[in-house]
Amino acid sequence: MAWTFRFLEDIALADIGFEAEGESVEEMFRGATQALIESMANPSTVSGGWERVIERSDVDPAALLFEWLSEVVYWKDAAGVVFREASLALTREGEVWLLRTCLIGAPVNYQTQELHADVKGVTKHLYELKQTGDCWKVRVVLDV
Amino acid sequence: MICGSSSRNPSNSHPSRLSRKSRKSRPLDMNLNTDMTVNRVTDEIWEIPISEKPGMLVPARIYATRDILQAMDSGVFDQVTNVACLPGICRYALCMPDGHWGYGFPIGGVAAFDVERGVISPGGVGYDINCGMRLIRTDLTLVDVQPHLEKLMTELFRKVPAGVGASGFVRLSREEFCRVMTHGARWCVEQGYGWHRDLARMEEGGCIEGADPSIVTDHAIQRGINQLGTLGSGNHYLEVQVVSNERIFDQATAAALGITGHDQIVVMVHCGSRGFGHQVASDYLKVFEKAMRRYGITVKDQQLACAPFRSPEGQDYFSAMNCAANTAFANRQVITHQIREAFATVFGQPAEALGMELVYDVAHNIAKVERYAEGELVVHRKGATRAFGPGSLELPEAFRQTGQPVICGGSMETGSYLLVGTDRAVRDTFGSTMHGSGRTMSRAQAKRTVRGAELQQQMKQRGILVKAVSMSGLAEEAGLAYKDISKVVESVDRAGIAKKVLELRPIGNIKG
Repeated sequence: MAWTFRFLEDIALADIGFEAEGESVEEMFRGATQALIESMANPSTVSGGWERVIERSDVDPAALLFEWLSEVVYWKDAAGVVFREASLALTREGEVWLLRTCLIGAPVNYQTQELHADVKGVTKHLYELKQTGDCWKVRVVLDV
Repeated sequence: MICGSSSRNPSNSHPSRLSRKSRKSRPLDMNLNTDMTVNRVTDEIWEIPISEKPGMLVPARIYATRDILQAMDSGVFDQVTNVACLPGICRYALCMPDGHWGYGFPIGGVAAFDVERGVISPGGVGYDINCGMRLIRTDLTLVDVQPHLEKLMTELFRKVPAGVGASGFVRLSREEFCRVMTHGARWCVEQGYGWHRDLARMEEGGCIEGADPSIVTDHAIQRGINQLGTLGSGNHYLEVQVVSNERIFDQATAAALGITGHDQIVVMVHCGSRGFGHQVASDYLKVFEKAMRRYGITVKDQQLACAPFRSPEGQDYFSAMNCAANTAFANRQVITHQIREAFATVFGQPAEALGMELVYDVAHNIAKVERYAEGELVVHRKGATRAFGPGSLELPEAFRQTGQPVICGGSMETGSYLLVGTDRAVRDTFGSTMHGSGRTMSRAQAKRTVRGAELQQQMKQRGILVKAVSMSGLAEEAGLAYKDISKVVESVDRAGIAKKVLELRPIGNIKG
């Protein structure tokens, strides 16, 4: 696996902070997406059945990631679902980063799923995306 | 051009990077989580002068006892002084004793801005617009309820959906949801989800004017349209509580509010505008980031994004925020309807016969236009409660003698308080006071310290029955993660910005 994430301890007293990193921007996107999905439910307890293909683009990868994570939070409420996985591909065409994703989940069911936090929003607080050597890293704080 | 401060953002420092040390200039031997000078005004009021940060337009004042102040995280000091830099701020940037690190504004933050020269900021309201508290009395006592507690909590858990992604039983068309946005709790009463007299016992009668659904995004509507009557998760809850005689501090005021003690049962609800309000906040933070460039505003933290109150963007946010605030009043009203139904089912009597009257409903995440000595101000309360004193003309007749009820929720293990507002709060803190106990431990640390299932069992042994959607969520809300609410209440009572009336002890709790 070319990405990782870890939840941050003291960065958000009442909320959830995480740091995700990857060997490429795309891998970092995967790590951040997984961290968000796991903030809401244990994905191994979520079956499939609900799918949404989403495409977004932006010249700024930080803005694109922020929009994408916010979109995941949106679907949690709009469709009443939690998520098992999100397959994603990130390409660059000229100056523009293009994200193509397939978000997979299932309607919320507290009897069969291990549910975690109801994320209210992705915040800009301490939000930072940076490259260090061959590693891309992002820090995200979620309001819960 | 409206200017905040242009200096680089010290608040973006990681809280733990700041050393814990005292300064020689500090008048007292105190050990605070800040390098700033913090001067004692009284034993419960502490002031950071404008010299402590470039761009501060007014001093910052923190309401806290010495012990509470010393325990406050560094984010409070950074953030309250960042707020003091915002254009048009009046008198002081304030933080209540339950204050802790937030986004932009600290939780517990209060700031008032001149409506003509000042700004409005979603960061001063929070993501959960009109997150608030509601208290419902009953004629039942502990003796009546204890034998049926398991059945009652099961019925409440069934009737009031909680947790991530939960949807409610009310199915609305888009048009009808727009009526919820404009009519708030009034819509609920029209639909039979409450009694007309409930409305007199809510801040603003459960309906704030000036809500315009046309400036709310489709995303916000889609996120919220199915969530009326749901609790959410995090620190939101529904709690069955008991009031014993020895925990009533002001019998006359308690009686005037319908609380007589003798192990009386009451129900407390803590929740807000759910996904709808969260999306309104997210949408307008983006709008304001762009608007700030247009209006030449710079802030010390992106989450302090703001716009002049009188600008089109400022007015649009205010109107959208009022849509969310009304939806939150409606949400708590539908939940109240479900609570009344659950009690009626379990105890075999109509809710009216059980005396299930509303004590009060009050917001603690909101911005409102109010009149003070300086004139019309847009008062931001983020994790702070309005606390108007006796005689305030804004209050309904029922509270002119007592002052406005202030409902402060503690942790699910300890207890909560009912207070009333004071004239001093109106004079000193823009009619504002505390809202809860305030966290002291991160969610991750709480989960490492205690397991949800064990906590549930321990609480049952102590006479508190907990129904939770998420065991990890339950662990995150353990009592050890919060300040001692009694000390927080004591500090506002001594400061005179609220007067304590009684303490409430939990016997049953529903968490998301």
